[in-house]
Amino acid sequence: MRTTKVRAGAVLICLTLGVSACGGGGGSTTTTGATGKASGTITLWARDSEKAFINVLADAYNKNNGVKVKVTIVPSGNFVQKLGTAASSGSGPDVASIDLVYLPYFASKGVLEDITEVANSLPYKDSLSQAHRKLATYNGKTYALPFTAEASVMFYNKDLFKQAGLNPNKPPTTYAEMLTAARAIHKLGPDTYGFTFAGSCGGCNIFEFAPHVWASGGDVLSADGKKAMLNSPQVTDALNFYHTMVSEGLVPPSAKTDSGVAQPAAFQSGKVGMVNLGAFFVGTLVGDKKVNFGLAPIPGATGGTASFAGGDEIAVTQGSQNKVAATDFVKWATSEEAQTILAKAGIVPVRTDLLDKIYVPLDPRYKALADALRKGRTPYSVVENAVFNDNNGAWSKMINQAVFGGNAQAAQAQAQQAAQQILDRG
Amino acid sequence: MATSPAHGRNSEVQPDLGRVPAETAAAAPRRRHGHTMRRRRQILGVAVVAPAFIVICVFFFVPLVLMLWMSLNNWPLLGAHKFIGLDNYTRAFQDQDWRDACMFTLKYTALTTPVLFIAGLGLALLVRRATKAARFFQSIFFLPVIIGLAAGSYLFLYLAQPGLGPLTDLARQAHLSSGGSNWFSTATSALLIVTAMVTWKVAGMQMLLLLSGLQSIPVELEEAAHIDGASRWQSFRHVVLPLLRPTLALVLVFSVAGSLLAFDQFYIMTAGGPANGTITAVYQIYRTSFINFDLGYGASLSTLLMIVLAAVSALQMLLLRNSDHN
Repeated sequence: MRTTKVRAGAVLICLTLGVSACGGGGGSTTTTGATGKASGTITLWARDSEKAFINVLADAYNKNNGVKVKVTIVPSGNFVQKLGTAASSGSGPDVASIDLVYLPYFASKGVLEDITEVANSLPYKDSLSQAHRKLATYNGKTYALPFTAEASVMFYNKDLFKQAGLNPNKPPTTYAEMLTAARAIHKLGPDTYGFTFAGSCGGCNIFEFAPHVWASGGDVLSADGKKAMLNSPQVTDALNFYHTMVSEGLVPPSAKTDSGVAQPAAFQSGKVGMVNLGAFFVGTLVGDKKVNFGLAPIPGATGGTASFAGGDEIAVTQGSQNKVAATDFVKWATSEEAQTILAKAGIVPVRTDLLDKIYVPLDPRYKALADALRKGRTPYSVVENAVFNDNNGAWSKMINQAVFGGNAQAAQAQAQQAAQQILDRG
Repeated sequence: MATSPAHGRNSEVQPDLGRVPAETAAAAPRRRHGHTMRRRRQILGVAVVAPAFIVICVFFFVPLVLMLWMSLNNWPLLGAHKFIGLDNYTRAFQDQDWRDACMFTLKYTALTTPVLFIAGLGLALLVRRATKAARFFQSIFFLPVIIGLAAGSYLFLYLAQPGLGPLTDLARQAHLSSGGSNWFSTATSALLIVTAMVTWKVAGMQMLLLLSGLQSIPVELEEAAHIDGASRWQSFRHVVLPLLRPTLALVLVFSVAGSLLAFDQFYIMTAGGPANGTITAVYQIYRTSFINFDLGYGASLSTLLMIVLAAVSALQMLLLRNSDHN
């Protein structure tokens, strides 16, 4: 009896092992050629930061074409994990709208479909955002088209500037001017702060803090993405500048543990003078109607300006069962019709030829964003997530320790070593 | 075959050796009947246990074997995997992040285990009476257990938020803390807040387990001690605690295992911060597997954690297993 039970159990285990070993592979690739009329249904994954307009976009597309697009909103924080695990198990979407910094990673892992021909066939291909195009290229091939653009700029509260005796139409252009302005605004009251930022957020700081370094002539990553430059002197200056503001009490206490949600809320409450954020925030403030805000380019140490060109790119996944329809949607997403819908939702279009036509006229402040996008930069790396965006990674830890602890050089050295290790491992 | 009673009876009635065939024939139907009943009972037993066994196989044993295999490979989430033997394990022993995470987990366990136990035991002693009020309070104390760890974490995250949550505001009005302080800004204070949340949430469960242990102690023993002149504290120390030992072992094993595997509360409340000061072992495994997408290395870390957990549980059972049970 006992031996029979043991035998039965062994058979069961072998069966389940066999089943699990055979099952689960990449998605089946029944590729219909890139020609032919688009039809059927396709699934689209978008980040939650796009939920304001992605359904409007999908509806506009569904109305005029024979294809039905089904949108799934995925939380930004988990997007990379979810797409990665879904792609590896073959259950991913047909189309994915991906934060552009992750493009090199997904392209290098064979998750995305090569659409070089489609990209080259576009009549406006040279006026698509340069930074996006660079990030979508891997080994000479194109794996995505630019979709939405984002640029980081400095938001400043014009009313607080006026109250503090500063000129609301002349925002700061150097670290020294920012410091003066922050000090003056903090004098207005104990609960009023000059500047805020997210102290525990990697992605926020590559978007908002790195431009200070770029504007000062430095960089955080070499152009080919192989060498980390976290210990460069421009990074030291920027870290010390932020540390000065923190030690003088010009920054709210919530900044130290903020993973990105407290900084916009603090500026929205009208109690903070300056914050570096992106185009997504303009829509929020305009709808809120509470803060009289202005936009300025992010300054360097002694002048100069820079911006992080961000946003999403839209790609067809390798595992898609309906690549014809997916490619058609991806192409349509860069058309004037689609980009106008985005502009109306306050998103910066990726078509630099259309910026002056559909975007800037909507609000005079948009000009700063359009200019920032034209000059925007984006670091290129297949391990961008692990090095920069990871809230517990080397970049985030360095900023948190240096700005709130004070010892920039030590924090930089540690971060440089950790980051270079990740880059070397590839 | 255990048919000796039948066999014995038959041999008493007919001891003649020559009668063996008839004896066997007479005994055979009885033996087959007993044989079939036993057989049926066994089949019934296997059938009833089979669903649970299948579930454990599919959701525990199979993934366990797969995980052990993955830990011997360089296995990225996307892409091909390569066999590398024990390299992941040697890497783990040199990984400073992993060592820090383990140290922090041990610190957290050392802090929460006694706090939880004392809270649970205190509550259990309070509700030990047979009154309706005690039953009512028992339910109240148990209520936080049912809301889920994630819900509790978000709740306390909000309560203790600087500038937003009521707790910080109350502390400021009671002059216990200055206006601008952020309770999550240092690893120590963040750890204390998380411990407070876990205590509030889990003490009820420990109370219930200890209560059942206390109620299994016969009242006469404590009465006898009282008659012999022992004070409440002495009777507690010398009569109740020793008899509570098996329940104690159970509660401690649960508590330590739970603390060693802590993840949700830190992921939600501190996000591992500030500056990675509150990353636990499981959090580090999560980071390795789902942020760095290095599944092979993550699997090796999981295996190490599993070994430690098994060792700690075995040690606890050994230490608390007292042989003088009368």
